[in-house]
Order: sequence, then structure tokens, then C-alpha cells
Amino acid sequence: MNNLLKKILFIDLIKGLLITFKTIFTTPVTIRYPKQKRPLEDGFRGRHAFVRDPETGKERCVACTKCAQVCPSQCIYIDYSINSETGARVLTKYEIDALRCIFCGYCEEVCPVNALVLTEFFEYASYTREDNYFNKEKLLSNWDEFIRQYEKTEYLNKFWHLPGIGRDRLPIGKREPKAVSKKEESQ
Amino acid sequence: MGQLEIEKISDTTFVLQMGPHHPATHGVLKLWCEFEGERVINIKPDVGYLHRGVEKLSESKTYPGAMTLTDRLDYISSMTNNIGYCLTVERLMGIEPPRRAKFIRTIVSEMTRLSSHLLWLATHALDIGAMTVFLYAFREREQILQFFEKICGARLTVSYPRIGGVRVDIEKNVLDEIDKFMDEMLRRVDEYETLLTENRIWLSRTKGVGQITAEEAVSLGLTGPALRGSGVYYDIRKLMPYDAYPEVEFEVPLGENGDTYDRYLCRIREMRQSALIVKQCIEKMPEGEVLSEKSPDIDIPHQGKRKIEAGDSLWSGFIAFSQEKHDLMPKGEIYSAIEAPKGELGFYIVSDGSGRPYRMRVRAPSFIHISAIPKLCEGHLLADVIAIIGTLDIVMGEADR
Ligand code: SF4
Ligand code: SF4
Repeated sequence: MNNLLKKILFIDLIKGLLITFKTIFTTPVTIRYPKQKRPLEDGFRGRHAFVRDPETGKERCVACTKCAQVCPSQCIYIDYSINSETGARVLTKYEIDALRCIFCGYCEEVCPVNALVLTEFFEYASYTREDNYFNKEKLLSNWDEFIRQYEKTEYLNKFWHLPGIGRDRLPIGKREPKAVSKKEESQ
Repeated sequence: MGQLEIEKISDTTFVLQMGPHHPATHGVLKLWCEFEGERVINIKPDVGYLHRGVEKLSESKTYPGAMTLTDRLDYISSMTNNIGYCLTVERLMGIEPPRRAKFIRTIVSEMTRLSSHLLWLATHALDIGAMTVFLYAFREREQILQFFEKICGARLTVSYPRIGGVRVDIEKNVLDEIDKFMDEMLRRVDEYETLLTENRIWLSRTKGVGQITAEEAVSLGLTGPALRGSGVYYDIRKLMPYDAYPEVEFEVPLGENGDTYDRYLCRIREMRQSALIVKQCIEKMPEGEVLSEKSPDIDIPHQGKRKIEAGDSLWSGFIAFSQEKHDLMPKGEIYSAIEAPKGELGFYIVSDGSGRPYRMRVRAPSFIHISAIPKLCEGHLLADVIAIIGTLDIVMGEADR
């Protein structure tokens, strides 16, 4: 009886319609993308960059080739020569094919000196494939571009220090990494 | 694809090829349907349009590298795929993740279940004609994806767990936010139910459609909500508990009739349970590290480390290298399964001791659910075929691998 009454009075549909009606008065959750942008979270895995060391003005990479070994899509190419005086490795070629990258973040996690980073920058679609084939200079300029539009004054990626993992398991460079401070533009 | 074509039974029937570009087939599934009037006589699913060779490809990756491929199986719920794979390798190696990592994994896998069920609800309702639910469900799903972004930096292909734990810790404030969101989520689920559960259109489109008895469902190999809708108590979280599931309390919702409506109710109730599990986990969250001591390095070599001692010739170094390559991992075979949002997701790994899986096989629930389509569709109308594909919750990335 009760059910029949409900059916005749369209209670089931009216209840649903009330919810949709109430939703009219809530604030919209959508944003108008190219004009408005959603702030990205810390540690977002976006475009690759080489950190420009604020002290030397160069990249930090020591050519250990760990990132190339660990990369699941094998899109990092490294060449190095050995400085005959100091015995140190000198980076001669460093290239990332971002079109093949799957943004797993393994490379930035494994890098012992935190040279490589996946920045919080995601709008880099391009008309040519070459634009997304990064060499060393491009990677450094990626960093400049990123840090210019970065809002906070210091940048510390969470994959650089890996919170929650025992410090003694990590290479020395990853135990207590220093945040990279943003340099003033005018200088 | 000549061999799959249907031979017509008589002149009064006609054959319709549905898909692979049909929006309601949820991906690139193709169905050869034979109709008599508008009634289905015969259906043959045709799969393989999204085959990428994940199983073969993983044989050339190291164990941590192959985990990133599992993201791309069921791309709606990549966390559970990762966890299933990591769990299998952990069981192979005999390591146990720390307690905090277990709780974190439980939280993220339940959030994945929520997001997967939300997507299912959205598309299923959209297929049947309820547009509003689609918009509402995506609103909540977006928030879950945003939490994933906060936790690990990626929204869809997360690659968050690691063999022996998870990659990074979750901050306290993110946990609090998740806790708050789960309260909201419970309210939202009530909202969806008000829109659908008693709605007469929804009832007439789902009740009695795609009915399957418990015995048939078991013999077809259905798992997950598709099986529980028929009233079979089978949930790996309860029967073979992994991660932190033994320490939380939850119910396994069961249906009775095994039709589309019961499966819908099962999933809706499961969403409530998931939200409650997440809340319990956050409450009980222990402190500590998130990665086990024995977990293999992310840059584990393919083969053994090359050891060339002073005074050795290159040749003896080579011998040592090729002899040693088979003791990085324990040798053997292992199968282990988890309860993914869509059903039992199993990984079968054969290890020859090197740093790469010798063979990896994925038991994907979607693939097995596709094989139930002919049985479920028998005698139904064309419009019900859409409802049945929706109710099985198929993702082709997982079925074709
Ligand atoms: S993010 Fe992953 S796929 Fe991309 S370059 Fe780094 S390691 Fe390779
Ligand atoms: S892991 Fe870091 S230091 Fe080593 S080669 Fe890659 S970028 Fe350079």
C-alpha cells in the first residue's frame, strides 16, 4: 500500500530531483582551464629539468649513469669522458626523450646528488618532436623556466629526501638535502 | 578477423558488430551480436585491440621496473595493480613491509576502490541514461585523484608502492584531509543512492537483467562484486588477508539475485565499507619507516654485479659474472592474488634468480568477466547488452594487456 502510494506520487523521482535542485546553489567545482589554473601539489611529476646549482651555475650531475640504468622506458642517454688529471667523470652528452618517458620518477629518486628533477610544470606540448627531446642545455633552461614561475622561495622535492625511509639506507647526498633557493631575477 | 565472424543461423536474424569504437563498450571491446528482432541470440566478444604485450615486456625489465608497467593494466586503479605486483614479489622474496607501509597501502588501495567504483557508477549510469550521477561521481573522483597527487605526485599512473613498502611517506595533514573527505564521501554515497536505488527507471532497466546464479558465476570464474552480487562469499581481503586488512573491521556486502541491480547495490555498499576502512586505518596509523630493510634497491641490476678482482683477467671476470647472475632473487614460481576493485587480480611470476622476472602472467578479472558476456546476455534486448557490459565493470587495458 505504502509502496503504491509512493509510486503514484512519484516520491522516488522527486527525491532525486530535490538533490539536483539543491546542487544549483552550490559553488561550481569546475575551473576554466587556460585562464584559471589549479595549483599543483608538491612533488608533482612533470617536465624534467637539471637543477642549476645556485653556487656554480652549472648542473650537478656527476655522470654516474644510475638514472639511465633504472629508467624503465630507457629514454635517458648518457656519455661521459674521464678527466685525466682528476680522474673525475665529465658529462659529454645527456639526453632525455620526454616523449617516451612514463613519468615514473625513478630517475629523480635514484640520483645520488639530486641533479635531476621532475618539475611541477606540465604545459609543454609542442608542435615538433624535437622540442620534447631534451639535451643538457634544454634541461637547464627547463629549470630556469620552472623556478621563475615557482611561487615559494625554496624548492625541495620529496623524492630528493624520500621521507619515511631510513636515512642510513640512502646515499649521503639524499640524507639531508638542502633546498634550492630561488635567485632574484633582477641580479 | 575472419575466424571470429558469426555464421547466421537463419535468414530472419541479422548480425551486428558493436564496437570497437562504441562509447558504451568501455574501451575497445568488439561484440559480434546476432539478433532475432531485438533479442540477442548469440554474442561473441572479440578482444585484443589494446594488446601491448605487457607480460612479455616485463621479462626485459628489472623487478622494480616491471612495476611501472602494471600501472597500465587497469589504468583506473593503478594503485591496486602495483600493490598486487609488489605483494607477489615480496612473497617470492619472503620479505614483509613495515607496519606503517601496510596501513598506507590499505588506505591507498581502498581509495582506489572508491575511485574505480565511482568511475563504474558514472559510466554505468550514463549508459543507462542517468547523466547527473556521471557528473556527481566525477566530482568526487577528482578529489581522490588530487589526494594521489599529494601523496605521490601523479594522478593516474602512480607507481607509488615499492617492493617491500611504499616509496614516500604520507604527511600528517594529508591524512587528516583524507579523513575529512571520507566523511563527505559517505554523505555523497547516500546522495547517489537517493538518485538511483529507488528510481523507477533505474529499477526497470537493471532488475532481472543479466541474471546469473551462484553456480554459474563460480564456474565462469567471475570474481569481485560480479560474483558477490550472486551471493557467493568470496573476498580475498577476508579469505587470504594481506596488508593491514586483518586489523580492520569491515563487511563484505552480498547480493541475492545476481542481477545487475544486486551488483549495483553490492558496489555501492562496498564504497561505504571502503570509506570506513580508510577512516579506521588513519585512526590506527602506526609510526615508523615505510620501506623494509630487505627491500631490493630500485636500481637492482639485471644480473649480478660484475666483480673483477685485482690480478684477474677479463675472462675470469666474465665467468664470475655469468655464473653469478642467478642468485639475485630466490628461484621459484609464485602466484598471489589481491582483491582489486574489479575482482581477483593475480600475478604469477616465475623467477630464475636473475633480476628480471623470467615469466610474468597476469590473471586479469576483466578478461574473465568478458567471457561471461554471452551467458549474461542470452535472450536480452540490445539495450540490455549495454547495461550488462556496464555491470561487469570491464577495463580493456587489463583484458588485453
Ligand atoms: S621518469 Fe621514469 S621513464 Fe621518465 S626518464 Fe625518469 S626514469 Fe625514465
Ligand atoms: S643519476 Fe643523477 S648524477 Fe647520476 S647520471 Fe643521472 S642525473 Fe647524473
